Amino acid sequence: MTEPSRTIVYTCPYVPAEWIAAHGLQPRRLIPLPTDGATVAPRVEGLCPYARAFANDAAAENAAGIVVTTLCDQMRRVYDLLARGTRTPTFLLNVPKTWQTVAAQRMYLEELKRLGRFLVRLGGHAPSYNELAETMTQHVGWAASAISPVHDASVPIAVVGGPLMQRDRILFDLIEESGGRIALDATETGRRGQRRAFDRRRLTENPLMELADAYFSIPDASRRPNSELYSWLKNELTQTGVRGVVFHHYVWCDAWRAELARLKEWVGLPVLGLDSDGHDETDVARLRTRIRAFLEMLQ
Amino acid sequence: MNAEPRKINLEQWDREYARLRAAGMTEPVYGGPLSRHVADGDTRLLKLRYDNSPAALRLWNFLLTEEDRLRAARDDGKKLVGAMKDLGTVPVMAYSLDNLVAFYPDGAWWIPCVMELNTGLLQIADSLGIDESFCPVRAMLGAFITEAHFPLPDLLTCSVGATCDDFSAIAQRLNGLGHPILWWEIPHRRPAENGEQAVTLPGGFSAPQSQIDFVRSELSRVKAALEELASRSLDDDTLAAGIAKANLVRELLAQLRHLAFTAPLCPMPALEMLIAEMLAIHFCSDQDETILVLTDLLAEVTRRVAAGTGHLPADAARIFWVNPVADLQAMNLLEDCGGRMCGTEYLFAHALDPIPTTIPTMEALAQMALADPMVGSAFDRAARIVADIRRFGAEAVIVSRIPGASHCALEGEIIGQVVRETYGLPVLEIEVPSITDATQATLRTRLEALVETVKDRRER
Repeated sequence: MTEPSRTIVYTCPYVPAEWIAAHGLQPRRLIPLPTDGATVAPRVEGLCPYARAFANDAAAENAAGIVVTTLCDQMRRVYDLLARGTRTPTFLLNVPKTWQTVAAQRMYLEELKRLGRFLVRLGGHAPSYNELAETMTQHVGWAASAISPVHDASVPIAVVGGPLMQRDRILFDLIEESGGRIALDATETGRRGQRRAFDRRRLTENPLMELADAYFSIPDASRRPNSELYSWLKNELTQTGVRGVVFHHYVWCDAWRAELARLKEWVGLPVLGLDSDGHDETDVARLRTRIRAFLEMLQ
Repeated sequence: MNAEPRKINLEQWDREYARLRAAGMTEPVYGGPLSRHVADGDTRLLKLRYDNSPAALRLWNFLLTEEDRLRAARDDGKKLVGAMKDLGTVPVMAYSLDNLVAFYPDGAWWIPCVMELNTGLLQIADSLGIDESFCPVRAMLGAFITEAHFPLPDLLTCSVGATCDDFSAIAQRLNGLGHPILWWEIPHRRPAENGEQAVTLPGGFSAPQSQIDFVRSELSRVKAALEELASRSLDDDTLAAGIAKANLVRELLAQLRHLAFTAPLCPMPALEMLIAEMLAIHFCSDQDETILVLTDLLAEVTRRVAAGTGHLPADAARIFWVNPVADLQAMNLLEDCGGRMCGTEYLFAHALDPIPTTIPTMEALAQMALADPMVGSAFDRAARIVADIRRFGAEAVIVSRIPGASHCALEGEIIGQVVRETYGLPVLEIEVPSITDATQATLRTRLEALVETVKDRRER
């Protein structure tokens, strides 16, 4: 007889891993692979390949539960497929798009509490403030860390965009192979998708509030307005001395696709826009050619 | 004065117009022959076929003169509110204040159709990085840039949260171009959990009271902005009166839909019914006139039903249509293929339900906003569609995909699945771009095949 799984699968950066861990369950941020053997989400026109791959990978996991968020409409709708198409209990976390009001911040906090009740139903236990604070302290290292400047001949590049699937990490290899250096990973699965460091004083006073605040301040293209994304980028690009931006998004990802033109107008650096359908193996050859040309221009 | 129901083209309408005028037809100030709008660039009108009643003429003239009305309202000192991604909530508040006029900038999605891509709005959107992978509502961006289709509003509101990514991204692009937007949050509707108070919303969906409280607080922010813009207070009595007027529009539409979808003969074509339904969400910039236009239309439909006249043969296939079409000609095409509209869900079924009047006004509006079929699960939406299929006796369902719309990738399959499981009805999923000319032969074949399937099923 196998042990019942204690793993909670999610992919959205607004799901606090510490909150799951504090409930005695194992958080696992799933970075999906594009798979052809669909289990719950078919390959259909208009469906974001990342959302599809997450749904299928999550369904195939032996997880105790799956957490999906409303960060984008595609994921919100993929939840329908997961909730109906798998036996794994699935939870939809309402992540507000607005962030400037107390009501939005409170809603996120209340949603975390609701997630907590879901975790308890899956066999977790409701943590005390001390337990939560202890878990948060143990996982301080999960936060975004400061970047140390590097001085060599390679061209410092920022990769900006939504999440990347495992296979699409090849983007980084291609940049480095072409004479570039990843000075900033501003993708959702990179540095940009990490919460800020916890404030130790606030962590002690009210850990859940601090947890919510740290995660809710992650910048993203989908926030309204998304000005904080540009503030964050401005700061990071300055610190890292980036000389060019590689912008990546998946086809049908409206939130990020719409930002490409705006970023080009705003950033004052050369920008290479790349899209991917998440499936096509021949993408690599095309990617290599485009990245090389971009890096040659910057060198 | 009223002739037998017929579908006529624009040229025929000009002759019919002359006849009606000679017979003493009176018109509102925006009246006139329909063909004059072609000179303004509305060239798609040349390819549509229309109902021949004076009521339909009034409806079309009302629709096609909205820009004039907005400019006149501004000249009269009224303030303009652009209520984006808002299917019938903020306009109800705005129209409660008599010096505000709300309109629906998203309605620009029909401009590429009506003006047959001659305005360059989509090219402007392209140049701003909003290409054809987005829904045709991207035409709105171009309309803001050119200022040629509506005056720039004094206040822009936009709901976000459980809305489609296309529109949210387009609105953000607009914001990035320097147009301030008051964003308000609509959360994904979910059922109440253990220990939470569940509330049945208008239309039958359910949500926890906490979500209603949240939306009410969001709408209070919008209300405060409207009050500031209007320089007057929107008190409960004033808002209640505004809700009563909005309910009158909804009641007229409910009667109209019931008669149009259930009469033995189709008393009003699908095209005019689509335009009429759209009035529910924004009143085409004049709520009082909307009531008069719909009253006229309802009188005509009632007269036709009583007289046993109508369009289309009695055995026309009874079709339920899901999602609005970017090309209005698709409505003509359905009828050309032997289909008859018997039920619709154009993304705003909730805006056709009466707003509750027995609860506090802001609570009622919050409930309405959460009753939006698009803010919940696609299975919820499918359940509502299934209930309406039964109500109107539809024999088949067409799910019309909106090109590039984020909600269309998956929900068509879910709706189709629920319809098939519940009633075993045939379901056809099609995509309707802004101009269907290039795909019309294929569309026609598919619609004809559906109609044939419906008729075959009757014989079995």
